[in-house]
Amino acid sequence: MSTGNMDRRDFLRVLGISGAAATLAGCGHTSIESGVEEVMSYVQPQDFVVPGIGVFYSSTCTQCGSGCGIMGKVREGRVLKLEGNPESGISGGKICGLGQAGVQAHYNPDRLHTPMMNIEGGLVPISWERANQLLDEHFGTKSSLQGEQIAFLTGGVSGHQRVVLENFLESFGSTQHVCYDAISTATGRAASKTVLGAEQPLWNFSKARLILSFGSDFLGNGVSPVYMAREFAKFRKAPRGTLIQIEPRMTLTGGNADRWYPIKPGTEGILALGIAHDLLQHPEFSGKVPQEVLDLVKNYDRDAVSEVTGIGADAVRLIAAQLWNNTPSLVVAGPAVEGHAYGFSNAAAVQLLNVILGNRGNSLEGQSEHPFPQMTPTLGSYRALAELHKKMVSGNCQALLIHGTNPVFTSPTHLEFSEAMKKVPFKVALVTHIDETAGQCDLVLPLLSAMEDFGTHIAEYQPSGVELMLQQPLMEKLYPETKGFGDILLDVLKKRKPQEYAVFPDYYSYLKAAVLKAKPVFHSDEPDEHFWETALMNGVVKWEGKPTDLEAKMVPLEVPEPHGLTTDYPFYFVPSIRPDMRDGRHAYLPWLQESPETMTTVVWDSWVEIHPKTAAQMQIKEGDVLLLQSATGSIQAKAYIFPGIQPDTVSMPLGQGHTQMGRYASGVGANPYKILDPIFDAHTGELALHATRVAIRKTGENQKVVKDEGPTNLQNGQKLVATLSADQAKLAREI
Amino acid sequence: MSLSNLIQNWDSFRKRRPYEDQYKDAPYKWAMVIDLDSCIGCNACTVACYAENNLAVVGKERFGKGQAMHWIRIERYWGEGEALETEFPERGAQYLPMLCQQCEAAPCEPVCPVGATHHSPDGLNTQVYNRCVGSRYCSANCPYKVRYFNWWNYPERAWPNPLELQLNPDVTVRSKGVMEKCTFCMQRLRAGQDKAKTAGRLLADGEVLTACAQACPTSAITFGNLADKNSKVARMWKNQQVDLAKNAQDKSEEGVRGYRILEDLNTYPSIVYLERLRNFAA
Repeated sequence: MSTGNMDRRDFLRVLGISGAAATLAGCGHTSIESGVEEVMSYVQPQDFVVPGIGVFYSSTCTQCGSGCGIMGKVREGRVLKLEGNPESGISGGKICGLGQAGVQAHYNPDRLHTPMMNIEGGLVPISWERANQLLDEHFGTKSSLQGEQIAFLTGGVSGHQRVVLENFLESFGSTQHVCYDAISTATGRAASKTVLGAEQPLWNFSKARLILSFGSDFLGNGVSPVYMAREFAKFRKAPRGTLIQIEPRMTLTGGNADRWYPIKPGTEGILALGIAHDLLQHPEFSGKVPQEVLDLVKNYDRDAVSEVTGIGADAVRLIAAQLWNNTPSLVVAGPAVEGHAYGFSNAAAVQLLNVILGNRGNSLEGQSEHPFPQMTPTLGSYRALAELHKKMVSGNCQALLIHGTNPVFTSPTHLEFSEAMKKVPFKVALVTHIDETAGQCDLVLPLLSAMEDFGTHIAEYQPSGVELMLQQPLMEKLYPETKGFGDILLDVLKKRKPQEYAVFPDYYSYLKAAVLKAKPVFHSDEPDEHFWETALMNGVVKWEGKPTDLEAKMVPLEVPEPHGLTTDYPFYFVPSIRPDMRDGRHAYLPWLQESPETMTTVVWDSWVEIHPKTAAQMQIKEGDVLLLQSATGSIQAKAYIFPGIQPDTVSMPLGQGHTQMGRYASGVGANPYKILDPIFDAHTGELALHATRVAIRKTGENQKVVKDEGPTNLQNGQKLVATLSADQAKLAREI
Repeated sequence: MSLSNLIQNWDSFRKRRPYEDQYKDAPYKWAMVIDLDSCIGCNACTVACYAENNLAVVGKERFGKGQAMHWIRIERYWGEGEALETEFPERGAQYLPMLCQQCEAAPCEPVCPVGATHHSPDGLNTQVYNRCVGSRYCSANCPYKVRYFNWWNYPERAWPNPLELQLNPDVTVRSKGVMEKCTFCMQRLRAGQDKAKTAGRLLADGEVLTACAQACPTSAITFGNLADKNSKVARMWKNQQVDLAKNAQDKSEEGVRGYRILEDLNTYPSIVYLERLRNFAA
């Protein structure tokens, strides 16, 4: 970049692409004629801008928490397309579909343009003057709010947004930054921390010869899907590694497995102990394993395990043998393992295999040390929301700010979160769209989109060292009344703590000062301006770090059997997480709605996956509208006959069933969060997402399932997708 | 191609091209390799195509009528024969990214009554929108089902303000009554070729990528110039023993896994797929 960033913003404004410029003032007078805006001739454009040629600017994707570096193609003042940024060690120049759809979040026709205020039960547009008045009344210098009376509820936040947010709360003496994630992995992380010594260790696919995954969809929606996909591709080159996947419902990752096993939901820990039992028979272990571990696994012989899990005794032997013969291996656990009343023990039992197999120091290492602990991402949990809920109900919470999370949509019915919202006198949502939660707030503030705002981000998964990711505007803002998240908080802070914050005219200057202050940490002796411009140009500043040692240990565990099926509720219910919809926050993006869910190819809908055998027994055909009844509630969706599912299990994807969030999201499908039973992990208190049992009833109605696959989905003897045995391929000789 | 051509020269047309060394002296012949063992079915390529090529979102009802406009789609199969008789898909799913195969002897070309679909000198099967009269013969004749017809005037429906600001100015927004299809991101190719020509050189290998290949997180898609014997894509074709001008490949070496889909129809596709691998001992 050859000029300062503010120059570029000015330039974009001059190009007149913003909403204001597109508006005609009437009677043939344009904003240009009336002198509100200027026109700059392309005959003498600024440096680096050529009409008709797109220029790429670096930024950071905010569609999920992976922190992928991206580049936006900007042309004539508009951002057109996103690509991966090769400078970023996480994305490495690649980008997923969810990331691509970031431009649709920005240009979405249902974006919020103005502040809104709840007047007599409905949201009505107000001016910023009025919004600021309200903010001042509640959060200004005369505010009487103190300590726990004010809380900030968010999704995952990192970087300087987190710093500003927590400084904002601190100015009230509050530490109530509540981070909620409806598809939280808190239980799995806690188990990993206990057994491996790290919540999220580094997975060195390059050093593993075999990956054994218990329900981890690391290619679809784990901690860093694009990075994992890149590493997995290398894992599949010579010498090709093997993936074995065990889960109740086939995920995208499961679809890539060399061998896929369906397991009864919640028995993964028992299977892991069965595999451990087999492994520990090897003489190499004699005398080296703590007695409590031997005691733990002794009852889990193949036959006993087979009966509980539904995985054949031969398969248990085979999996153990494969692990033994392919060291180092890597054993990972996902949502299907942790979503039970004893999810912690389940996940810990799976991690125990890593310890037994000696994967520590090989395929598993600790992430590098962190130079910026105050900017690490806050990771959400359900328990955090439940604790906030208690404070809301008891009347302790007087003011609640909400950003980046939609608990009214994603919290289970039994929490009655909507009711609790009514007990909080002042609720503010900072959003780009009115979702179900914002719809119940008193004040709704319109945010800049991720393509219009500045920010810094630090991802949870750092493959090498630590990368400080920079987010910068890729174009001038579309709506003049929208405002940056950091700017809104900074404006309050400037009033509350003028000595510290008055020097910053806006969040941009705060951010620049903050990043420059961190310059010594990066051992840089460049001049400030140069350091800042290089950082923005690259989109990332890298801090060198080394992987750390893990302190793994064998811990005694108790892994009970899951509560069984009853005649009232004869099916396990598995809510699946779509890589594009996640917890439902992306349902308003039309590209993603129209993108077929890979395993089923269904679009624009919710559906119930049911095994062909079970469907035949119950005489269910594709498209039959089924009523799913849990102890908590019921929902309806169409049947989809799906072979990749355990036959006592039915599954529904999360993310649909919105009543708000605009034309593309509302009225599509049904919301499975609302039938989840109140079952919690005994160790962490997290909501057990996979522990609900349901009954199925046919409603008698049949509707067409809109999907991409053909009616037979057969290859009819043609060589469409051919499969070769891995031992016959000559990968090392390939180009 | 015209009707007379159809009647008189059908057979010769279908076998005439590609002749051996057809692209020997040509600067460019665009081709692709898709490694099915690397493809994880994530749909990054399909969304990238929507973004790059101004593909219309048609909505549930029209999707249900088969009117989706995805130039590249991920087909998902569960296998054939024995694999379908097992209770579960034990070897995972089969993902197939399906897009226009840019056939050298494209079945869609000779049936167009107005010459709207034709072959470009760099081996692309192109669609000239303002010639197309919407007979849809090409789509009927395409064995891969990768041609998409505009049944509606999507510009009025698919991009409510301000979504239209995302549209790529380098790509025509198609209107009602015309056929459209994958172009191998021709706008990128032409811009790159022009730039290279100005500099008095040819495009370097990897200098221009299609949107799908650029996005693909596993780099399963390799795109390049088959006329350049040193390009990665040309070396891969050779290494996998696939010859553009043959409709049945000599596979003398063991373990090569390159194949072209429906090759026996004499379509001479420009896309080589690499067989998916599975460790059957697991």
